[in-house]
Amino acid sequence: MKNLWWRALGPVTLISLLLTGWLGLWVTPRAQQQGDFARLVYLHPAEAWVGIYVSFGTAVIASGLYLWPRTRRASLDLVAASAMEVSVVFLVLTLITGAIWGRPTWGVWWAWDARLTSTAVMAVLALGYLAYRYSFDDPMRRAQRSAILALISAVNVPIIHFSVVWWKTLHQGATVLTPGASIKIHGIMAWTMLLSFIAFTLCFVWMTRVRYLIARQAQEDSRTRLTSAIAARQSEGGV
Amino acid sequence: MAPTCSELVAVVDNQVLTVEAPAVVRRSRLRPLVVLGLIALIIGALLSQGLFNSLDYFKTVDEVYAHRLAVGTTDIRLEGVVKKGSVVRTTFGANFVLTGSQHRDVAVHEVGTPPQLFQANIPVVVIGHFTTATSFTFRANQIMVKHSASYIAKNPNRVKAPNGTVR
Repeated sequence: MKNLWWRALGPVTLISLLLTGWLGLWVTPRAQQQGDFARLVYLHPAEAWVGIYVSFGTAVIASGLYLWPRTRRASLDLVAASAMEVSVVFLVLTLITGAIWGRPTWGVWWAWDARLTSTAVMAVLALGYLAYRYSFDDPMRRAQRSAILALISAVNVPIIHFSVVWWKTLHQGATVLTPGASIKIHGIMAWTMLLSFIAFTLCFVWMTRVRYLIARQAQEDSRTRLTSAIAARQSEGGV
Repeated sequence: MAPTCSELVAVVDNQVLTVEAPAVVRRSRLRPLVVLGLIALIIGALLSQGLFNSLDYFKTVDEVYAHRLAVGTTDIRLEGVVKKGSVVRTTFGANFVLTGSQHRDVAVHEVGTPPQLFQANIPVVVIGHFTTATSFTFRANQIMVKHSASYIAKNPNRVKAPNGTVR
């Protein structure tokens, strides 16, 4: 049953992404102020949701659990690394689609406001986490140190989220997660946006799982190679 | 002679053999520190451009009215709503009036290309400076449209709010 769910995940993700695309491009109406440019609302916020909250959040939680002695497992380190890789992908996509949206609406590709800058910082932190990981030889040290870096980087998440509330930004305020919980999108537009969030979250689960399985396989291969190399040496020496 | 780190010593048939050890990729202990230093450097550069320079990206028309003398003729980003009926397109850009929340106005002369969404009744941020230290006439070289967070259908009959009202 569990296997079936995992096998269905890929096709379900693909169907939900295609459905989002169809609804976003053909079914939903043009927006009053932004016209067709508003269709990016079915892409850009969902990417940011996955990049900043879901992927980065998963990496941070897995790192925290790894550092906690009672829950420490090598697999949590792999989950953290896999989720962080997916986070990098979605953060870069967020920055790219944000720039594509910004050019016709704001009139500029980029603005050094608090929301954009803190998101760029997040992308650097996620990339930095991966670079930092690969700078260690010892797996234990690698896991421990990168988990600490992930936890420190998490400070930036609330800064990104509240940047549009705390400071005056060119970036729009929240449409869904508003301080007064008043949603500013309705009807088919709201449902399509919700579907985009679900589709991209499923995409995250699929990508992270695949990346995790690859990393685990690589680890097992490395162990097998080492064991067979030792066995070969022992047989050479007649031990 | 003592073997070096990259050599292995084996005794076979009472003969001492020295063989070359397989190459081991040993990364410098400094590498993690170098990576951390690079991360800090890039983030520092981003922050110096963004947050430290313009934590608040713009000043509102109301703020400018409250501190007009302090603003003088320095380059600023000014935010306000484009007053209805004030937009006049010129060969070099556009002239219009920016209004604050307390209905105080700033006349803007923009030289450049207004963005596609530029129109009346929309919040914008203009970059430029006041023509004199005390005037409320602003010379802008760029307009940025600050679109709202509300998404309402162009054809409102197609979208209804959860309570059934047409939005």
